[in-house]
Amino acid sequence: MVVRPYRFGNFHRKQIFTTKESQGVATKRHKNIWKSEINDIIRGACGGFLFGIPLLYTMEVWWIGSLAKPQLMMMAIALMFIVVFLLNQTEGFRKRRYTWEAQQAAMDTVEAMAIGIICSTFVLLLLRELTLETSLRESLGKIIFESVPFTLGVALANQFLGDTRNGNGDEETIPGKYDKAKKNESEIDATLADIGATLIGAIVVAFNIAPTDEITMLAAAASPLWELAIIAASLLISYSIVFQAGFSDQRKRRQQKGIFQRPSSETIVSYLVSLVAGAFMLWFFQKLTFSDPWTMWLDHTLMLGLPATIGGAAGRLAI
Amino acid sequence: MTKTEQKPKRSFAEWVTFTIASFILAIIVSLVVYTWLNEKNQPPIISVSKKETIREINGQFYVPFEVANTGGGTAESVQIIAELVIDGEVAESGEQQIDFLSSRETEEGAFVFSQNPSKGKLNLRIGSYKLP
Repeated sequence: MVVRPYRFGNFHRKQIFTTKESQGVATKRHKNIWKSEINDIIRGACGGFLFGIPLLYTMEVWWIGSLAKPQLMMMAIALMFIVVFLLNQTEGFRKRRYTWEAQQAAMDTVEAMAIGIICSTFVLLLLRELTLETSLRESLGKIIFESVPFTLGVALANQFLGDTRNGNGDEETIPGKYDKAKKNESEIDATLADIGATLIGAIVVAFNIAPTDEITMLAAAASPLWELAIIAASLLISYSIVFQAGFSDQRKRRQQKGIFQRPSSETIVSYLVSLVAGAFMLWFFQKLTFSDPWTMWLDHTLMLGLPATIGGAAGRLAI
Repeated sequence: MTKTEQKPKRSFAEWVTFTIASFILAIIVSLVVYTWLNEKNQPPIISVSKKETIREINGQFYVPFEVANTGGGTAESVQIIAELVIDGEVAESGEQQIDFLSSRETEEGAFVFSQNPSKGKLNLRIGSYKLP
């Protein structure tokens, strides 16, 4: 019900690996223009999800969107453009910065807004807040107002979790390539550290959402097919944030020791950890009680699982 | 970063994504302009209708209804009243509230009666709404 204070400032810590990689990268650049462009977009989208998800789970924003007049929507687009343009002058979602040219920042702003619009539309569809029956004007209002926090998140993507893969993203290390001598002694510790980080991140994001009415509302609207789609989206977004987006410490992630250290298994295990954390939070706030049927536990937990796993992914990058 | 890296041209891929992005943004802006131009300056016009056949389950009669706003503006707290009149008297009544009903939106629901609505006359009407 409330707009929550939300900060990820502490996550953009160590910017290691930045300087070493910048040499020799320019030559390879044109080979991988598509790869680096897609990486840029994924990074932007992940920043958007980190910043935008709490507001996507706020019904007041849906209502504001539903009620907005077209004049107000135009104003929202214009204001969004100005703010994101200013952010793009200093930061942005690209690895290469175009801070010296206003025109380039303006072009990045258009792209950031498009990413924000696409991502917020996707989640609104996933949460059944947009359906085929929703009228055009209402859909537009919801999309535009939800895309504001998303677009801000896109523009702040590098700021959130820092950028290490200064090159084109082709210098990823193969998972499991770490020193085998050290493997056994720290495997359990590393796994515990991962689970702890996932838990902390999941709690930071989902604790704000668990006590609100949105989870109940969304769970009521979701059919089994949509719940499967939400599971798939949760896993995909979590994987992208940790292993695709080129946020800081990503390279370290790939070298991280631990039992579940293959990217796919880490993503799944951390999703399960986030689900358990989400279920616990819902129980803590009495949104779920032990007398409720298991189906209610399932759909409520899956609904909270999406923000929780996004938080968990950010948490793992921060350790 | 070196000096040569400071003035790179936009790559082909970046131009492609920029084109797609401006296309998406242009669609959104033109749709907003479209709704702006087509905005009807008329108040909400709300109608309610029985949707399909009445179901009877365990002695209860479910009367599905559909409420639609064909007017211009959004109506808030739309109140729908159902009255079952048998032998000239209101035997049962029901009430439902729809939080938001924007222009051209329809919402569905159902009233539940314990007596068979086909034995009497069923009146569905909109009681009230407020403007947001």
